[in-house]
Amino acid sequence: MDATPVVVVTGLRFAYGEIVAIDGISIVVPAGRIGLVGANGAGKTTLLKILLGVLPAASGSVEVLGTNVATGLLDIRSKVGWMPEGDCLPPDQTAADFLIYAAELGGLPTRAARQHASDVLGLVGLHEERFRYIGEFSTGMKQRAKLAQAIVHDPQLVLLDEPTAGLDPEGREEMLDLIVRLEGFGINAIISSHVLTDIERTCDWVVMLDGGHVLRSGPMTDLSTTDELELEIIGDPTPVVEALRRRGGSVEVSGAEVRLKLEGGDPFVAARDALAETGAALRRLGARRTTLEDVFMGEDQGG
Amino acid sequence: MAEGVVFDLGYRPHEGPRLGRGGARWALYRDGLRRVLGLRRRMRRKVFPIVLMSIAVMPALFFVAIGVVAGQFDTELTFFGHSQYFELTGVMALIFIALAAGELLIPDRVSGTLAVYASRPLTTIDYLVGRTLSLATVVVGFLWLPHLVLFLGRAWVAGFGSYVADNWPTLWQTLLASFVYFLAFAPLALLIASTAKRGSLASVLFLGVTIVSGGAAAALVDAGFNATGLLALNQQPGYVKDWILGDSARTWIPEQAGYEPVVSLVVILTLAALFGLLLVVRQKKAS
Repeated sequence: MDATPVVVVTGLRFAYGEIVAIDGISIVVPAGRIGLVGANGAGKTTLLKILLGVLPAASGSVEVLGTNVATGLLDIRSKVGWMPEGDCLPPDQTAADFLIYAAELGGLPTRAARQHASDVLGLVGLHEERFRYIGEFSTGMKQRAKLAQAIVHDPQLVLLDEPTAGLDPEGREEMLDLIVRLEGFGINAIISSHVLTDIERTCDWVVMLDGGHVLRSGPMTDLSTTDELELEIIGDPTPVVEALRRRGGSVEVSGAEVRLKLEGGDPFVAARDALAETGAALRRLGARRTTLEDVFMGEDQGG
Repeated sequence: MAEGVVFDLGYRPHEGPRLGRGGARWALYRDGLRRVLGLRRRMRRKVFPIVLMSIAVMPALFFVAIGVVAGQFDTELTFFGHSQYFELTGVMALIFIALAAGELLIPDRVSGTLAVYASRPLTTIDYLVGRTLSLATVVVGFLWLPHLVLFLGRAWVAGFGSYVADNWPTLWQTLLASFVYFLAFAPLALLIASTAKRGSLASVLFLGVTIVSGGAAAALVDAGFNATGLLALNQQPGYVKDWILGDSARTWIPEQAGYEPVVSLVVILTLAALFGLLLVVRQKKAS
């Protein structure tokens, strides 16, 4: 993936009548796998539809893959795929026929469309089912077919709206694995979801939306790294806690779990010394990772 | 013993040409043809188009066979000519359009496939033009094919060169008349289909409006309200067709109301434009 941003949004605003869905947001989204998170009604789907030109921006400018949506919409659509949250599959067509058609609609010549449809059906695990009518598919198979139609014309960017919606745990894992593999195919992805763990698992950049505003936009590593330490003690943690406090640490205890924050020192050194001093047995030790949920709830309450 | 090697080709990006909007329009048109004809669909989708087309073409083939066996084409013997043939195929076309219009527009909207079109290099106008052209191709072909069969059959029996030289205007006249039938019926059928959730409902509504308009207009014209003669939707194309083919055997309701065929043609074109405009507005809302 190159360093050119896939999406640049400046001062974007959109309203459904009196209800403001996107309120003057500006973001620059790099190449890669991008998570778009927010509660229901945060503006995620609206933003995706604006990127595709399905909804017109009330004000502001939107560039996708270096092309302005207002002036080069059809050019953008040749390079973008969309997996909508709702149904988008014709029940009376076979998966193979529909995928070939979807590839041709994306501008691929017929022979290439056939080849690509076959490849992509194999990729999403539907090759054996390719001659079955889509109406006979299970929910999981339909979700995979929806992803297949979104990438069958070999787009540079794919917009995935709640890709794991309605899937059982196994189907969800398979879908997330597929999404992770997209980057290896040279396909950037913007994944909209309110399931934060899905975004944590698949994305390397996250944009957090709430009430039409951007709460935060940045790499996942910035969000997940903290200067705190987490220890899990076997047995009573009290002696270790006291030892850590004597070393100037700010300590929170939850059962056997101890969370340590140390101003002006290395918490790992403090933990090592406290454990050596008390002779406590350790089950787990590591830097504490902030989950998206921590960040989201923190920003939401703060903002 | 040679060892087998498995090559994982993985995902191969498309490196060849991309056809863009033109390719997308062409794919849309071909999909429309397949839909209208029920091709690459379940068997029950194919039955009705095949039956209707067979009914439309069979008489032409029958008359040609009689002509070939008899060694001559006797208009008396073949019961009717090109103008009368439209009386049969015009009704078939009405039913065919009623069913095909729903098949073209309703599944895309109901099953959410419009979202796929929204992520491809196509506009709403492209979508509607592609769908309409595919319907036009099948309907005009379906109406015109029997006339082509009759024409070629007669030419074969009567001597190809001289028959074609004397009668070639019949070809464009029947083609034009076929197109008039399409223009008179299809825009309203497509407009109704763009609002309905079920194809059967759209078909019944379209057939009801079209047939009732003819009956109501006839009664009103009889009662002295001549202007209503122009509202006989099922009568307009026949009247214009007779004008094109130079036939005056039948009296149509607009004619009975005192209107020239050119007025009927203007009505057909005006209603087609109006229904087309409403269709675009409706489809843009649905997209």
